Amino acid sequence: MTVGMINANPVVHERPERAAHPHAADALDPLDVFDTVRDIKDPEHPYSLEQLSVLSQESVSVDEKLGRIQITFTPTVQHCSLATVIGLCLRLKLMQNYPPHFKVDIKVAPGSLANEESGVYTDKFLRLISKK
Amino acid sequence: MARVPPVEWVPHVEAYVDVARPAAQHSASVDALAALVNKDKLTLFDLVSKMDMYLTTTDHIVRSRGILLLGEILSRISFKCLDVNTITTLSDFFISRLSDWQAIRGALVGCLALLHRKQGVGCIVIADVKRLVESFLQNVPVQSLAAADRKLCFEILSCILDRYPEAVKQMDGEQLYGICEAIDEEKDPECLMLSFHVVEVVMKLFPDPSGLAAQFAGDVFEILSKYFPVYFTHGVGNGLDATREDLSRALMHAFCSTQYFEPFVIPLLLDKLASSLPLAKIDSLKYLDNCIRFYGADRMVRHASAVWYKLKEVIFNLSSDQLLISEALNCLKTAIMYTDSSDKDLFINLILLDEDIVNKIRSVSSVEKSILSSLEDLAQLHALGSVISILAESSTYFCTRVLQEHFAHLVDIVGTKADYESRQLNNCNGSSSAPVNYGALYLSVQLLSSCREVALPMLRQEYVSCAVKGLLTLATFPEQCSPLPANAYEDILLMFTSIIISKFENVDLWRLSLKALTSIGSSIAEFHDSEREVVYYRTVVDKIVSLVESYDTSMPLSLRLEASYEVGTAGLNYMLRVAKSLEVAVVTNISESEANGRMECAEHVAHLFECYSSRVLPWLLTSGGVNELALSFALRLLDETKDLTVLDRMSSQGLLDSLMTGMKLLVGVCTEEQQSLIVQKAYSIISSMFSLPLKLMTDRLLAVDELVPSHSVPETALISMFSSIIVGLRPQTPVPDMMVTINLLSVFLLNGKMPAAYALASIFNKYLHNPEFSHENQLDKILDDILERCFLTVLANSCSKISHSSAGTSDDVNFSDVFSGNKLSKINILSSLAWIGKGLLMRGDEKVKDISMFLLKILCSDEILASIPSHQEEPYGGHSSDTSLTICVASAFHVMMSDSEMCLNKKFHARIKPLYKQRFFSILMPIFLSKIKETTAVTTKLALYRAFGHIISNAPVPAVITEAHQILLVMVDSLAKLSFDIEDKDLVYSLLLVFSGMLMDEKGKECILDNIQITISVLTELVSYPHMMVVRETALQCLVAFSTLPHSKIYPMRRKVVQAAIKALDDKKRAVRQVAVRCRQTWISSCLRWDLWIICQVPDV
Repeated sequence: MTVGMINANPVVHERPERAAHPHAADALDPLDVFDTVRDIKDPEHPYSLEQLSVLSQESVSVDEKLGRIQITFTPTVQHCSLATVIGLCLRLKLMQNYPPHFKVDIKVAPGSLANEESGVYTDKFLRLISKK
Repeated sequence: MARVPPVEWVPHVEAYVDVARPAAQHSASVDALAALVNKDKLTLFDLVSKMDMYLTTTDHIVRSRGILLLGEILSRISFKCLDVNTITTLSDFFISRLSDWQAIRGALVGCLALLHRKQGVGCIVIADVKRLVESFLQNVPVQSLAAADRKLCFEILSCILDRYPEAVKQMDGEQLYGICEAIDEEKDPECLMLSFHVVEVVMKLFPDPSGLAAQFAGDVFEILSKYFPVYFTHGVGNGLDATREDLSRALMHAFCSTQYFEPFVIPLLLDKLASSLPLAKIDSLKYLDNCIRFYGADRMVRHASAVWYKLKEVIFNLSSDQLLISEALNCLKTAIMYTDSSDKDLFINLILLDEDIVNKIRSVSSVEKSILSSLEDLAQLHALGSVISILAESSTYFCTRVLQEHFAHLVDIVGTKADYESRQLNNCNGSSSAPVNYGALYLSVQLLSSCREVALPMLRQEYVSCAVKGLLTLATFPEQCSPLPANAYEDILLMFTSIIISKFENVDLWRLSLKALTSIGSSIAEFHDSEREVVYYRTVVDKIVSLVESYDTSMPLSLRLEASYEVGTAGLNYMLRVAKSLEVAVVTNISESEANGRMECAEHVAHLFECYSSRVLPWLLTSGGVNELALSFALRLLDETKDLTVLDRMSSQGLLDSLMTGMKLLVGVCTEEQQSLIVQKAYSIISSMFSLPLKLMTDRLLAVDELVPSHSVPETALISMFSSIIVGLRPQTPVPDMMVTINLLSVFLLNGKMPAAYALASIFNKYLHNPEFSHENQLDKILDDILERCFLTVLANSCSKISHSSAGTSDDVNFSDVFSGNKLSKINILSSLAWIGKGLLMRGDEKVKDISMFLLKILCSDEILASIPSHQEEPYGGHSSDTSLTICVASAFHVMMSDSEMCLNKKFHARIKPLYKQRFFSILMPIFLSKIKETTAVTTKLALYRAFGHIISNAPVPAVITEAHQILLVMVDSLAKLSFDIEDKDLVYSLLLVFSGMLMDEKGKECILDNIQITISVLTELVSYPHMMVVRETALQCLVAFSTLPHSKIYPMRRKVVQAAIKALDDKKRAVRQVAVRCRQTWISSCLRWDLWIICQVPDV
């Protein structure tokens, strides 16, 4: 049996143009984090996570004082089995770019994954990517 | 420190503790004790040990007085430095006393005083603040205390939240509950103000969706909601600070403190809108307005329809008063603006499709009700008009929707009526039987005007620039075929000019007009249009240029200067006029500044000169119109300086510096003949005014006792002006009475006056060995003489312990007398030496060696001093002054090697021998290397590093790289040693830049590879250099470059580098973090490849 693509025909969004870094302050902000992860390629398609709207700037929150980064991503389709891979990619990228004392939380946007409600998938998923 | 004996201060303690004494005496004794502690006449330790009994007795009253006394004293010594132990002990004491309810007042005062202390004078540590919070919430029953004590409690809470938020970050629900309990049922207005603030800050502390604020929002709001709307029964003038408005505002801020209040706040506010109290209604609207802004579209969407219905009720309610309606309309506007972002159509559909609104519009515009029968109808119509225009004004999209929906229909009604009416008018001469439908007309007009409001910002700019362009085109027709009559042409010019003069707030228009004027001016020059030129000159140039001369401060000087310059660029004549008026402005500023008493004069003149020298003069130079201009200006300035009082004022108002800079530039652009005129004149002024015996100074240097040590201010100012003239001279211009001039300048030089040093440096740079000016090597001799004197002066007291054989003349003793203790002038003489050295160095004279060897000697004198036991106390405190001297000497090398704007550059016609820096570097390098090797003393080594660092960083990089094998280790060591002192940060940066240049070069790379261990360890240290961001960034970039070197060499260093990079991932600055990521990536990936390769090579693994 051949395994087909999970989402063979995704919606591709345009990458918005913006200046190098619009923030004046030097503190770590969500835009910094977003800049590091926006160009990660989707496991299935030659597009970045930003282009597929899996990630957006609003989906990142940062608390520099407490050393926390939280990313909530939205898989393109509800039955996406590659969500774990995306999560791991995000985690690796963040580990490489931020000091080890940062606590990184990666979550799936509520309601965006079909078997999330059943609990089985979510638990496994969370165990995989939320525990350090 | 003289301590006051206990007998004197113990009575104060007793007086305070005794409750029977009057309050005035109590406060007097606290003040007395606090003053003693503040002046260090009484230590806190003594105080506490004497007060022991009062602090621990079982008598509640005495104990509470005792603790209160300690607390009060603590609050009055908030600026006195206390050490950590004292602070900790005091915190322990007061925190433990919080459980002592009989003496609670003192504990509260003490805790508050501790919390209020500032960072620099010793403040309470975070761990103690945490304990304080715990103890406070556990032991202090706030609501059962008196009002004054409650106020203290709330002050403590709000101070902790404001200043030590990290102490409560880990707060649990129970503690939050404690705070709620403290606030619950509070009635006192001042306490309430504080408690609202406390709630606001607490809720803001936990913005997390899973945080405390989200969990407890309901409970907290239950407490807050009781106070809304704020009723205030206290009358005015009862001494309370808080007013109803303050309280209401504080409560509003508390409401808006967190989004989690939204489910509770909005229903409450909407509910209160229906209240019968006007106050409650107004407050609700104000709160609602703020909450909508704060909570954001996402949260407000679900309330949109409820908000609209409630607002509609208020707006269309006939009994609402005007204030209420306008407040409601405001709120509606906010709601439309802020709900717009999430769903474009939500609000507009709500309003436009609202049955009431549809009905109202229909009824207003219906033919039957064409005459508004009552005031009520009128009010309804106005309300409707306001709602619709607010809707239409909020965005282009809304405007279009509203127009599409209603406008055609409304106009139809008005139109048919109007047609009918005009027919009637024509037929029956004005007696119209069917009047216009007022409602429809009113609404259409409202719609149109809001449509215009939306359209205006887009159109206005286009329109204005178009108009200016039209006028410009009209005005630039050649006169023969111009469509404009002469007076219209003048009108156009006048209008643009008036815009320049009076409408400078409108930046776009101002710039457009200025551009237009310049183009018109250059078109006149292009067509050689003499008549128009006259008109232009009269109407434009005169008026705009006279702005520069005026004292009018309403228009910023920079704009005035810009306008004048731009207009001037249209033609040579105009620019000459600009230059003239700048000249006038400068001169009047000098002569009249006293009359006006304007202290900002110096800055003003500096701006004028800046414009003159950096814009007007270069323009004139390129178009060949300088001629006599600079000469006349310089002569005019000299005329001004004839007056002693003017000179005095010049230096007191800080004018002198800008005048000197200006004078230099003016002289610099003059021709030789002009220069000699200027310098002759200046010299004649000096010889006529100076009280020094000029005649004596012709053939030899003045002996020291002939020197007048204290010159008056005007004389110094005059010499400074004279010096700046000399700085600007060309090498061919003769200096009058060279020997006298040099003598005179050297007198001032030895008095530590820097301008004299610049002048002398210029003279020696330009005239040495020039047979026209120096007869029989006279200049050479006098140079030797001056150098000798400088050396002696510097040596006179800093190194008087070193025996110097060269100083054998009888003058020595006098020297050390005259100059003893004058450290500042000694430092100045050292830098004067550096400048003279620079002058010699640039022309390639050998004498520069003498100076540099002397400077080196001073640098190393530290060590010699250290080896000789000092037998003479120096007046300004031994070692530190020597260090400042060595720093000064090190920067002397910087002066010699670097390029300067002040003097000795191309602009001022200095003689510059090619490659002089490279030569100097290669001469000094071996000397420095051997000195550094010899030296053992740390300070001396540091001084040598500093000086050598200046030389390396200013030398051409290729020259440094060729010597890389010799100096690399020294360089790396200097980087390591100099990185401790913040003063050396610029030097560290420039050395690091030289190093990175070396890293880019093949030969340099080889050399670095040989010393890779030490190099990388220093660089990894610099990655956390605290004083300068670019140093950290450059160090990381260097490390990135290292990763391209052969793996076998860098592999052992990988751990160190990666660790440093990881540390830098947490840097304060974004740029550094980004390079750190790159550095870490490249090192990890290149070393990983190497790891794999090794694994492949070893078959068993």
